[in-house]
Amino acid sequence: MAEVIVFYSIASLLVFCSIMVVTRKNPIASAIYLVGALFLVAAVFAFLGADFVAAIQVLVYAGAIMVLFLFVIMLLNIDPELLKSPPMTAGEAAVLILTILSFIVISVTVFKGQLVAPVGELTTQEIAKNGGNTAVIGLALFMKYVWPFELASFLILLAIVASVVIAKKDKKKLTGDQADAERNMVGDLR
Amino acid sequence: MGLSLEQLTGWLAGVDEFWIQLAATIVKFIVVLLISLHVPPLMVWAERRIPALMQRRKGPNRVGIFRFRLFGLMQPLADTIKLIFKEEVVPDTAHKFFFHLAPVFVIFPALLVITAVPFGHPVTLGGYIFPMSVTRVDVGFLFVLAISSIAVYGISLAGWASNNKYSLLGGLRASAQMISYEIPLGMSLIPIVLIYGTLDLNEIVMQQQNVWGVFLAPISFVLFVVCMFAETNRAPFDMAEGESEIVAGYLTEYGTFKFSAFFLGEYVGMFTLSCLAATFFFGGWQIPFVSYETLVQISGSSLVASLIGMMVLLVKAAFFMWLYIWVRWTLPRFRYDQLMSLGWKFLLPLALANVVITAAVLVALQASRL
Amino acid sequence: MISLHHYLTLATVVFACGVLGVLFRRNLLIIMMSVELMLNAANIAFVGASTALANLDGQIMVFFVMTVAACEAAVGLAMVIAIYRRYGTIMTDFLRTLRG
Repeated sequence: MAEVIVFYSIASLLVFCSIMVVTRKNPIASAIYLVGALFLVAAVFAFLGADFVAAIQVLVYAGAIMVLFLFVIMLLNIDPELLKSPPMTAGEAAVLILTILSFIVISVTVFKGQLVAPVGELTTQEIAKNGGNTAVIGLALFMKYVWPFELASFLILLAIVASVVIAKKDKKKLTGDQADAERNMVGDLR
Repeated sequence: MGLSLEQLTGWLAGVDEFWIQLAATIVKFIVVLLISLHVPPLMVWAERRIPALMQRRKGPNRVGIFRFRLFGLMQPLADTIKLIFKEEVVPDTAHKFFFHLAPVFVIFPALLVITAVPFGHPVTLGGYIFPMSVTRVDVGFLFVLAISSIAVYGISLAGWASNNKYSLLGGLRASAQMISYEIPLGMSLIPIVLIYGTLDLNEIVMQQQNVWGVFLAPISFVLFVVCMFAETNRAPFDMAEGESEIVAGYLTEYGTFKFSAFFLGEYVGMFTLSCLAATFFFGGWQIPFVSYETLVQISGSSLVASLIGMMVLLVKAAFFMWLYIWVRWTLPRFRYDQLMSLGWKFLLPLALANVVITAAVLVALQASRL
Repeated sequence: MISLHHYLTLATVVFACGVLGVLFRRNLLIIMMSVELMLNAANIAFVGASTALANLDGQIMVFFVMTVAACEAAVGLAMVIAIYRRYGTIMTDFLRTLRG
């Protein structure tokens, strides 16, 4: 009984936060609602007994990635006047309704579906016997999945180097015709 | 009132354990909340009297109630009353929702983290075992690190929502500082996990019965203390609220109650990190050379022995709070670039080297409990 | 009781919000946030399946998905900064140089 109440409250809050993320005009409001949504996703993980991923979710997603988002939004300092978008056309409204309808159909199909995958042996009791969720994940990461683990660290290194290179200020300044052409192009489209 | 003790205990024995543990958790939460909310006023008093003593002057000692001056302990009371009753000025162009939301993000993580700190040995009362932390988190260590990284949002939101150049600068610098020092903070604690082989804070404290963590991982301790100062934006890392530099930094536009809310968050954060430092390195609630069984024999009750443990933890936390004040009033402030290069170019490699060396030593001695 | 179906449906609904965000919003940053939302929906599905099938692979997958998402967010945000510096805007209406 308590389980049902907890799950439905977390789920409804999560759906509310997700809707708020995609409907707010101010990107900072979206970012804060996304932080809330990520926290709630961590709550879902903890509810499922996956303690380690729940903690990592808060640590990595809500604690680092979203801070990065927030920094970029604040540094770009966008004029709110330019955030207003033109009203939705009829075609866009049709696509919106069609997408929502198709996702309702998909959700109902998923909800009524049947589980056909083979069930493994790592039930909650087994996990507790083997030293807890973190210990089991740690062993799996360093024994069975050690190659993806090392490759993931290499990927992170690549991402660090790439983001530093891409976001660096360009030393050479665009001068003369090239700069005018750029400026005119953007000016025409506004 | 025909309820006798036998009837009460008989009824209690039939209640589901879930409700009893829930009631115990609520009681523990209220107690921990009260303790941590009483720390900021004491810190405000300590923050003015201790430096006064260090600087050979007296500090505030005039405020009194009915002629009881009490060494100036009434001063924080007077400050709080003033802060509550002053008129609150919110700038017109500030983003209202986030302006009011920012202090929440500063207080909430500090209070949430302190629920995982073990205040004493689990108490056996009437056949049930009650752990002496408000929550029993299996991944306590990760939980602590994860929640303390939420505090960054409060500061960046405060800086941005004030719609003020200096606030934004101060807020962004403080956030950059906090996220830069979170990494060495986490990494300095990894050797502790390697040595004790568990993420559960209760277990880590229990295993420090014979040797405290500070003797097994001294570099970790030094790193943790340095990052502790940086995480709470305290001197010498208080670039963000640098009093003489950018007005009050991200706090410029905040008056009265919200200002005190930020300071509440900061002091509770300091208290939380002090408790954690005591838990990881100084043996938590353990008294050196006195085991828990001895305490139970002396006091005759498991609850009293655990409460003694709680007092011991508070004394150790008080030592770290005093350290905070001492360092603040002794060292000058870091410049922003010095701060960032210290965090990334010195502390991070040192933390990494610490992890590698500790792991190597543990494998060589085959002493790891993993 | 709460079964795998509930978790998968929750994941679908959150994923739908993410898809709608990517389709209908013009602000690059909000599009990126919607992508993060979609990744999290997939994570919920993985962990739900991991618990229902008593298999740890789902949680390991979530670990790697988070890693990749962090890298993608970092590189994506660096690109947003570069775009802003070059075109002066992050509204996708005006980012059309590859078009036609």
